[in-house]
Amino acid sequence: MQSISLVSLLRKHRGLAFGLFAMLAAGQVSANGAIGDHVNDLKGHLGQYSEEVNWLVSKYDEVVDTYEKQGKKAANSNVMVEYWEEVDFHSAIETNYVPVYANIWQGIFGVKQAIDADAPIAKVREEQTKLNQALWQALGAVKLASQYQEKGLLAKVQTTEAEPTSMPETLEDIKHRLDRVVAKYAEQLPEAATSIVHDTYLHRFEGVEGALIEQDAALVEDLEKDFNVTLPQALDGKSSVDDVRKVVESMQVKLDKAKSLLEEAEKKRKDVF
Amino acid sequence: MQRRAFLHNLAAVGAISCLPLSIQRSLAAEAGTVSVDQLPQLEGDITLYLGRGEGGLYENVLEAIRKRNPKLNLQIRRGSTAALANSIVAEAKAGVRRADVFWAVDSGAIGLVSDAGLARPLPADLVGQLKPGFQYPQWAPVTGRIRTLPYNTDRLTPEQIPDSVMALADSDLAIGWAPAYASFQSFVTAMRLLEGDKATEEWLRGVSRHATSYAGELGVVMAVERGEVDLGFANHYYTLRLKSGKPDAKVDLAFTNNDAGCLVNASGIVALSEGDLPINFIRYLLTREVQSYLASEAYEIPLVDGVKPPAGLPALSAVSPPKVDLTELADLRPTLNLMRRVGVL
Repeated sequence: MQSISLVSLLRKHRGLAFGLFAMLAAGQVSANGAIGDHVNDLKGHLGQYSEEVNWLVSKYDEVVDTYEKQGKKAANSNVMVEYWEEVDFHSAIETNYVPVYANIWQGIFGVKQAIDADAPIAKVREEQTKLNQALWQALGAVKLASQYQEKGLLAKVQTTEAEPTSMPETLEDIKHRLDRVVAKYAEQLPEAATSIVHDTYLHRFEGVEGALIEQDAALVEDLEKDFNVTLPQALDGKSSVDDVRKVVESMQVKLDKAKSLLEEAEKKRKDVF
Repeated sequence: MQRRAFLHNLAAVGAISCLPLSIQRSLAAEAGTVSVDQLPQLEGDITLYLGRGEGGLYENVLEAIRKRNPKLNLQIRRGSTAALANSIVAEAKAGVRRADVFWAVDSGAIGLVSDAGLARPLPADLVGQLKPGFQYPQWAPVTGRIRTLPYNTDRLTPEQIPDSVMALADSDLAIGWAPAYASFQSFVTAMRLLEGDKATEEWLRGVSRHATSYAGELGVVMAVERGEVDLGFANHYYTLRLKSGKPDAKVDLAFTNNDAGCLVNASGIVALSEGDLPINFIRYLLTREVQSYLASEAYEIPLVDGVKPPAGLPALSAVSPPKVDLTELADLRPTLNLMRRVGVL
């Protein structure tokens, strides 16, 4: 069994700990159905999650083995999505670290599309390795989140959407929504991904850009273009998930800068009374 | 264009009042700017439905009210203004009332709630604090925003801009607009009410021939500044904020004359439950301190007497917004149908 230590996980994903905290604190809603109560007791379910990841890895291996021996039709790659949607681990990672959740979808479709395209087995195995890495990485992220949760550092996962109440909170919410854009795109749902972008622009970014433009007009200009041109164009169904992720990551860097600027501006703001 | 430049004072700003002029004068004479120091302490439980607005500045106001009134248990439900208005009406139909006050970013949503008979009357002295033209018996406008024509100062002189918004349909100017934007749709609704559906349809068709669409109105103002278009349609504060962040921005504001192009719309608050607490809560929003804060920090137009308008607004010798009952802007459906029929949505 392949495993990834917490240290290597953190090394691989700097900022993961903060990301976990920020995302849970902001509240989460699953776009893929009901979230079970288990997500508020991660530690109590780590054994179950480990079993599920092992089960998924073995089931995906079976699909690839079948493909190798009997071909595309016998492999029936559609079951790969069904397996993933069947496990509780699905919502555990979805509510904890969306970037890795997106990697899993990307991995599943990487294998599935290679099989559907009658790719050489070496190519399919290459995609399978990426998928397995994403699954183990996700398990590591959930284990880390369970530690934060146990220490009371994470807010309870909410099943209804929480409205951010300050501009920095709004910007964090925007970053998280952009992670979901990548996840939806990786799930092969470009229209859903585009819809999140439009909704995020109109209901979130629009509320902060007025204040932000006072601080850095060029930054707003950049983000306006990203929201309305660059990212929607990248979600055309032809770009790779990695390309979409690059656009999103670049936007998230700009949003971090925006957050710093607005936090500084807020310190200088006059009192109401 | 005959009139140009900005609001210097808002004594002349007005929409239609729903009170007779004699009563307005009487109330206005009694009114003065109220300081928070003159208000009673707020005590007890109150639930506010807060329409999503100025990205956190309304929250600062509410937090300040909380701090000043430690015995006040203020619960807040947040959401889009339209969704909250619908919730209030739906809750009332179901025989429950969860909100005591509703602070909406646009007056159309207030109209939806008051049309359902849910708004409580406001005391005359509170109504009288508001500027003439913004005095309504069942809701209090909190701050205003005016429709403007931001224009590129390298591409246009003020004289090249018609003072009638209707004339823009026949002009050869490159125009930027944001048809999906709520404020733009309220503006088109005002045009429908003032000019009729047929004229509005023709206007939309005319402008669409030389218009470029943007997602939001800040985007419109930035496109104007970049010179992508000659002028655009937008609320006033986007231009002020852009100029604050970029003082050499090549954009200025023009106003049309007595038509939907210079509509003054307002955020507003309505009391939904009886008693002193909701009314006194509303009084806090109309204080000199809160009005000044929203003017200086959010560039919104104060609607009580004696409070300075946002910094950066040049003098406006005369402004003549159209006479529109703002709550009539609630009915967007015919506007959206019209915009879809024309193909701009």
